[in-house]
Amino acid sequence: MKDPINQPREYRNDARRKMFSSSFSVICLLVSSLAIVVLATLLLSIFSTGGGWLNFEMLTASHRENNPEESGIGQAIIGSLVICSICGLAALPIGIGTAIFLEEFKPKNRFLRMFHGLVQLNINNLAGVPSIVYGILGLTAFVYMFGAFSPIRVNDQPDYEIGATYFYQTKTLGGKYVRFPATAEIQPVFEIDQKRIVRKSTGERFELNVVSATTVESKYEGKKDETVILGTKAKLTNHQGVQSYETKTLGGTPVFFTAEPTYSQFAKILEPIMVTGPEGDAFELNVLSKSDAIPTDPDVQSRSVFADSPDPNKRSSASIFRENSFFHMHLPFSKSVLSAGLTLALVILPIIIIASQEAIRGVPQTLREAAFGMGATRWQVVRGAVLPSATPGIMTGAILAMSRAVGEAAPLLAVMGGVLGTTNHLSSLMDKTPVLPVTIFKWAGDENDGFEHLAAAAIIVLLAFLLLMNSVAIFIRYRYEKKLA
Amino acid sequence: MSNQSVGQGELLTTPISPRGELRPRSSKSSKRWQALVVTGLVFCALVSVFTTIGIIVMLVVESWGFFADDQIEIWKFLTGTKWTVGQTQGELSYGIWPLLSGTLRITGIAMMIALPMGLISAIYLSEYASKRIRSLLKPTLEILAGIPTVVLGFFAVKFITPYMLEPIGDFKTFNATSAGIAVGILCIPLVTSLAEDALQAVPNRLREGGYGLGATRLEVTLKIVVPAALSGIISAFLLALARAIGETMVVALAAGSTPTLTLDPRMPSQTMTGFIVETFKSESVVPGTLSYFSIYAVAAVLFLITFGITLIGQIIRMKYREVYD
Repeated sequence: MKDPINQPREYRNDARRKMFSSSFSVICLLVSSLAIVVLATLLLSIFSTGGGWLNFEMLTASHRENNPEESGIGQAIIGSLVICSICGLAALPIGIGTAIFLEEFKPKNRFLRMFHGLVQLNINNLAGVPSIVYGILGLTAFVYMFGAFSPIRVNDQPDYEIGATYFYQTKTLGGKYVRFPATAEIQPVFEIDQKRIVRKSTGERFELNVVSATTVESKYEGKKDETVILGTKAKLTNHQGVQSYETKTLGGTPVFFTAEPTYSQFAKILEPIMVTGPEGDAFELNVLSKSDAIPTDPDVQSRSVFADSPDPNKRSSASIFRENSFFHMHLPFSKSVLSAGLTLALVILPIIIIASQEAIRGVPQTLREAAFGMGATRWQVVRGAVLPSATPGIMTGAILAMSRAVGEAAPLLAVMGGVLGTTNHLSSLMDKTPVLPVTIFKWAGDENDGFEHLAAAAIIVLLAFLLLMNSVAIFIRYRYEKKLA
Repeated sequence: MSNQSVGQGELLTTPISPRGELRPRSSKSSKRWQALVVTGLVFCALVSVFTTIGIIVMLVVESWGFFADDQIEIWKFLTGTKWTVGQTQGELSYGIWPLLSGTLRITGIAMMIALPMGLISAIYLSEYASKRIRSLLKPTLEILAGIPTVVLGFFAVKFITPYMLEPIGDFKTFNATSAGIAVGILCIPLVTSLAEDALQAVPNRLREGGYGLGATRLEVTLKIVVPAALSGIISAFLLALARAIGETMVVALAAGSTPTLTLDPRMPSQTMTGFIVETFKSESVVPGTLSYFSIYAVAAVLFLITFGITLIGQIIRMKYREVYD
């Protein structure tokens, strides 16, 4: 060994080295407490911006364009809760199941062992995938389902659907709304109201002239094959594999144009039909022809329509509507809360698996051995001994994972788009809804300064929610630790 | 079961579980039940495998849609210095470098904050902190880690930029620095907790050996503990790096939507994730269009980078881990 006296000066146990050491500890303390400063600044700035805007009206109202004073986060709170429930229902069983498989069923078979190792490596890698990539996966796998089904259009019946009833609704002469089921006998028709690009059966494309019935038709004398009268009806057909509207021009040639989903479809009522009134009363609808006089008796009026009235207010055509039951589903899932919930489930799945694995690993081996000694199968050991004592740990991990899901904005933005408010309330899994994080994001980027304060108020609500979830997690951990002691 | 002890056997087949219910001993039916359960568990495990496969297949197939377009050449995508996809006017340019450099700029700023601060906090928590300070710092970091990124983005654009950056220089409303600082803040707890785990895994024997030789606490920390935990610390750094590169909401709010190729941290800088969000936000994503496919091409680059970094981090942690027993 070397003589310590001949070592370089810095290795000698002198006052300078001790001073270095203690000053380093002070620097460390200062740097570490920066985290507290940052957190305090963040909370203060948010509370000072949004605190004054937090009130009951704001918690219940929904978004209004250019009107921050009357906007609120009612729909967003409900949307966030629904999506997180779906996410939890999907992610928890799968995540805990995977953790049990990885921890308790380590296979002896060589092939299965490889699969086992692959799953473990894969999960650690998935935890590092950016959430926006999951969002894009959700868009591809749930919203469009890899293009395996035809995309969902508004007012268009999807190929695979349950829980939806389609019906036509029309207004009688007495102003009463009646409805009747959408059946094949009544073809939906479409009224042409503007110029549009159409194609002949030969495939040739041209712009269709639309003239009103009173316009001098002679102007279009030579172009009868390219002209229709305003309000001419078009039938929905399948032309060369594409959903199209078909109509005939003045010249009598059939033309086709793409079925645009945003336009309502109408049904033409030509003969008496059984309908249901607003109070659920069923009766046969009286169909008058153009030449008939308007009935004077209000009771008869409310049961009658004109077959084809020139007066648009008395038009007998019925628009198609859809009524969704709560279990309404279709394939692909399109931009819906179900897609959003499943996407978030993929985001938090690795977190739940890793947390559950740790909880299961923390169960003492003696418990398992005791159960095996009683002659239990491996699953009985897991079910009866491991899971009950790992549950608090799993629950804690699950709640922390859910609080991650509540705050995720990027995947939801990808899957549902930037929805801020919807006219219909959330009624089925196929509806879109605003959610808290996306609302905050859109408001923070809004030009109207009021929304900045509103975004801060929404952040306070979100943080309060997260605090609540975390307190529950801490409470569970605390009770569990006391029980073991 | 043998015939000689029927009575005893019956007793044994129905042991009483701790919760008092009768449970059969592992018989044929319970083994069959177990086989069924295991099958179910394997399916659960398959979900995560299919997630990865789904991501890769999706990125390959849909990016193919981008590169198969007549206007696109893959070489120009990888080397081009201008990005105008999604803009309605002007010539179409689709060089990834403005987006990539935006990501790298913001990540660089974030790492300059998160790595030193995270490591020092970890060292302090693991080697110096008293129990009382620990019980204050740990929850603070946990709360900071739990704050949604959209909230940090809001903080960056409404506080960091106007009150911290604009007084000291000619910063644009949306700039790389404020986004970088906010991303750095959200990476600090991640670095701290992973690095602290690595530091605490170093056995006390090593520290005691150092003290026995007359080393000060600083010397023990920097010359014994940190080198011993180096693989864990590096893997913590790499995970934080991957996290910063993939961070989305902060940059979407604070870094602006102009792709720039510059080194000036005061300028707006759209990142890869920022571009993806901007495209989704405008709700003009129609499947089959060029701007739809471009999302996948950009996401593929993003995924390759983050996946690669995470994988390297894992390998370092597994391969170079010092095992003490």
